[in-house]
Amino acid sequence: MRRRSFLGAVAGFPACRPKRPRLNVFNWSSYVARNTIPDFEREFDVDVRYGIYESNEEMLARVLSGNSGWDVVFPSNYLILPMRENNLLAPLQHGWLPNAGNLDRRFQNPAWDPALDYSVPYMWGASGILFNRSLSPAPASWADLWEPRLNGRITMLDDPAEVLGACLKKIGESINATDPAVLLRAKEEAVRQKRLLRAYLNAEVRDQVVAGDVLAAQLWATTAQQAMDAASNLAFAYPSEGFAVYADTAVILRESGRVRLAHQFIDYLLRPEVAAAVVRETRTATANRAARELLREVSPALYPADDVMARGEWFEALPTPAQRLRDRLWTEIKAA
Amino acid sequence: MNRLRALFLAPVWVIVGSLLFAPLAIVFLYSLLTRGAYGGLAPPWTFENYQRLADPLYLGIAAQSFLLAGISTLLCLLIGYPLALFISRSGPRKNLYLLLVITPFWISFLVRTYAWMFLLRDTGLINTVLEAAGLIREPLPLLYNPAAVVLGLVYGYLPFMVLPVYAALERLDLALLEAAADLGAAPRASTLRVLLPLSWPGIRAGIILVFIPCLGAYLTPDLLGGGKAMMIGNLVQNQFTTARDWPFGAAVSLALMMPVALLLVLLLRRKGEELL
Repeated sequence: MRRRSFLGAVAGFPACRPKRPRLNVFNWSSYVARNTIPDFEREFDVDVRYGIYESNEEMLARVLSGNSGWDVVFPSNYLILPMRENNLLAPLQHGWLPNAGNLDRRFQNPAWDPALDYSVPYMWGASGILFNRSLSPAPASWADLWEPRLNGRITMLDDPAEVLGACLKKIGESINATDPAVLLRAKEEAVRQKRLLRAYLNAEVRDQVVAGDVLAAQLWATTAQQAMDAASNLAFAYPSEGFAVYADTAVILRESGRVRLAHQFIDYLLRPEVAAAVVRETRTATANRAARELLREVSPALYPADDVMARGEWFEALPTPAQRLRDRLWTEIKAA
Repeated sequence: MNRLRALFLAPVWVIVGSLLFAPLAIVFLYSLLTRGAYGGLAPPWTFENYQRLADPLYLGIAAQSFLLAGISTLLCLLIGYPLALFISRSGPRKNLYLLLVITPFWISFLVRTYAWMFLLRDTGLINTVLEAAGLIREPLPLLYNPAAVVLGLVYGYLPFMVLPVYAALERLDLALLEAAADLGAAPRASTLRVLLPLSWPGIRAGIILVFIPCLGAYLTPDLLGGGKAMMIGNLVQNQFTTARDWPFGAAVSLALMMPVALLLVLLLRRKGEELL
């Protein structure tokens, strides 16, 4: 008996119902609208097993094995290269992705995957400073987050790449620096700043900025936008020294046995009205230009102007020794 | 007879073996491997992960964890012992009080820790009330410091001190204290020489049940400490997440078990005494 028919027999009666094909999608939390998945299931007559994760590491830990059971996942841009090197990604058939033309020009040929051979940009974002308008002068640079006047009223993200990235930008270096001497200087900046910090907080800082406990916070633009929607006395600044930018992309895993359906799903997400519905609910920046036109979204926090974007720097995959040094420096910062 | 005994014990060995020893063996194997470039594990076999532990950085984090866990355990004892004594003497209301001690367990620890954040925030209940009463002008920095971490740990693990101490005091024959008084012992002497020694098994169990989870805590330092203080639990968590260094994380968690095992041996070495 072949394994599949044996399993079907074991599973018993439910298997008698004609079974719809099933697509396994593993995505970041709050990255689709309420109707996105049910609508896809209805239109294509399939079942979708939809799982969510909170960090790239969580997703990587599952899919590294090569038999995770997922078909479509959404790694950040700097993971495309390592995932390709680990033979985890299936090449995309652009003939099956007619809606890819809806992508913003910036995302038609990004540095991490110039011909979109393996990945389709989905959402993107950058980190900057969310602050209370009562602050005068308003913070405009990372260096302003080292000012004693903000003592106890600032937070930084609880994320080594972001904190070291801000420190590196402050001293005029690249967020992707690998030189140990440069990283050491960045660490010293972080330790010096720690005395002024209320805490290292991610999205949970939102309520405290809205309530006025925290006056300035290093934060992702999408979380900042949610805070600004809730309180009109808040503003967002892209620091003058430069800032980190990331994109989350849709990829198909090499292990997937439903490549055609996976393409259909990604193409469905690329439809302007689907992508627009997603960002209307999640307040994230979409990589989809056609969707943005539908939304008439003008938030300068979510979609910075070109001259602001010129200061942005994309996260890149780092060599192992630099990654290890950064991990150690992060522990030193936390233990300082 | 012995074969029958072995037969009845077999399920225990299966459970302990599959749920404790097998996972521990896996953790041990992980700790001897090398970090893969993008997480996961890679050859070669090495002891390097254990050598890294001797680093003053990690010893400092360990010392910090022992200090916070020690303070929390002491506070739990100072608060929990009188409470347990009170409950054991409250006659028919005993069960009600015990129920009240256990009630917080009906709600997830995570949710209760978040509740503390709402109490301790600048615009939280405590600061708002104090400000409204005119007692303070500026909000007190109650959240995101080591004191908040200790508060969260004491709050979370107090029942684990109260219950075993209560169990020990409950069985205590009060006539023994009367006898001590009859024989001329002042209250202080009868407390130190009769009450405490007789409730020691309960105190000991309480210390074990509070100190060990406090030592490995990572949620409380993260949420109430604002990620500014690092305990061993946070170090382990970081290795498995952002640092993607599973072998070192495995080595740290095994190293954490050593002092815990030592503590258990020290506290339980006297033969023939029950834990509770």
